[in-house]
Amino acid sequence: MTAPPESSAASLPAGATAGRDVEVDLLVVGAGPAGLYATYYAGFRGLRTAVVDSLPEPGGQVMALYPEKAIYDVAGFPGIKGRDLVANLVAQAARFDPVYVLGERAETLTNEAGTTPRAGDRLVVTTDKGTRVHCGAVVITGGIGTFTPRPLPGGHAWEGRGLTYVVKELAAHTGQDVVIVGGGDSAVDWALALADIATSVTVVHRRKAFRAHAASVADMEAGPTTVVTDAQVSHLEGDDRLHTVHVQHKDGTVTAHPAQSVIAALGFTADIGPLERWGIDIADRKILVDTAMRTTVPGVYSAGDITEYPGKVRLIAVGFGEAATAVNNAATYLDPDQPLFPGHSSDDPAGIGAAAA
Amino acid sequence: MPYVIGSECIDTTDMSCVDECPVDCIYEGDRKLYINPKECIDCGACEPVCPVEAISQDRRVTEENEPHIADNRRFFIEPLPGRDAPLGSPGGASKVGKVGVDTELVTDA
Ligand SMILES: Cc1cc2nc3c(=O)[nH]c(=O)nc-3n(C[C@H](O)[C@H](O)[C@H](O)COP(=O)(O)OP(=O)(O)OC[C@H]3O[C@@H](n4cnc5c(N)ncnc54)[C@H](O)[C@@H]3O)c2cc1C
Ligand code: SF4
Ligand code: SF4
Repeated sequence: MTAPPESSAASLPAGATAGRDVEVDLLVVGAGPAGLYATYYAGFRGLRTAVVDSLPEPGGQVMALYPEKAIYDVAGFPGIKGRDLVANLVAQAARFDPVYVLGERAETLTNEAGTTPRAGDRLVVTTDKGTRVHCGAVVITGGIGTFTPRPLPGGHAWEGRGLTYVVKELAAHTGQDVVIVGGGDSAVDWALALADIATSVTVVHRRKAFRAHAASVADMEAGPTTVVTDAQVSHLEGDDRLHTVHVQHKDGTVTAHPAQSVIAALGFTADIGPLERWGIDIADRKILVDTAMRTTVPGVYSAGDITEYPGKVRLIAVGFGEAATAVNNAATYLDPDQPLFPGHSSDDPAGIGAAAA
Repeated sequence: MPYVIGSECIDTTDMSCVDECPVDCIYEGDRKLYINPKECIDCGACEPVCPVEAISQDRRVTEENEPHIADNRRFFIEPLPGRDAPLGSPGGASKVGKVGVDTELVTDA
């Protein structure tokens, strides 16, 4: 996983404690392509902006599901790799120094009094880590929902005692025997990254073929990593902490692998989850919006894959357009004296929009 | 343009595809699995893992699997045999568990 953008380091000090408060004009919920573009646009409109995402890095579906694929239908790019598109969106928004609240899921929406918001109320969105974002308006760009790592069957009791779903810090695995479960890019990338740090690395994959990049798989196979295919973890064993991973092979035999850490890289599942309880009209897990991208709650707008209206097409290009519409309408909601039309960015040589005014 | 499961799945049902789907939209009938066309995000992750190559994009299905495009949809929008209401879009197969019945096309296969 790539490091979060610079600005998050500035606004999210290391060890930021739960229960912190963030004060902004606009909160963007979801840092996928639509959310990142909304973040840029809100900055361009002179709004102080925060963006929250349950994933540890921005990029939404693009980074979670297909960072290495080329995309051919984004206007102005004859072809661009998913990862590069996201990096460009982050760079474009960075000019306005948005506050990134990453690795936190937006759970509840209320007004400052803690009740159902009414028109003109200041809003509070609270995350699962207890961060409270105070804002005047919200743009929900939640895509297909929050991504959570697919759980390792039978692993639940071992979380925090040896089982993890992401590698936060490579150095934490120094001198450990590590078992990585999975066959995608994350599994193989982590195996490569840990090969020289851990005492041993074993990759366990259900199938013979890896989904990861062929070149990375070749690197892994040429290195010190033990690769076990056609096999799955049958159970974990330990005392306070994990010490052994039992692996069942296709022929039914079970082998024991000493391990102080098991990293399950089994992909993600998405679920709209908490947004369904925000009092917004939702049908089949999609948010109903009007032509101004308004939801049924005053001050709450939406854009991208998560919106629904007759004729909706779920594409990145469409999400960008909706994000601009949502933010410009939110700007006039926040300050009715502001015009709906933002002006042309090209009229401003520095491209810094209203923030400079 | 969702992905569709064809007749090859009938009585194979090894569930490999279910493990791959990021939106958990592959539902288990009795002798076959079905993709919810409203929930599928067209990512293609399920296609390569099927041991019997039952899965394809709806624009690319083989001629003999053509009826399964409508049949995958039917599993969700019409009441299944012995049920009063259609399954609809429950938003996750794991919430529903094994449905345990098939469409007529599959039962009669
Ligand atoms: C394999 C594949 C290939 C694709 N190819 C193309 C293509 O070629 N061209 C194209 O235009 N489109 C393509 N798409 C579709 C495209 O990726 C989506 O349209 C796009 O990602 C939608 O962007 P989004 O910002 O609306 O939502 P998403 O990318 O889904 O991002 C939503 C973000 O919101 C976060 N989130 C949701 N709820 C919460 C919450 N409560 N709290 C915190 N965070 C939350 C999620 O974690 C996620 O990061 C493809 C999709 C897939 C899967
Ligand atoms: S294409 Fe993707 S979303 Fe659709 S059924 Fe297959 S894995 Fe699930
Ligand atoms: S992987 Fe293929 S055969 Fe197995 S359940 Fe899925 S569609 Fe059916």
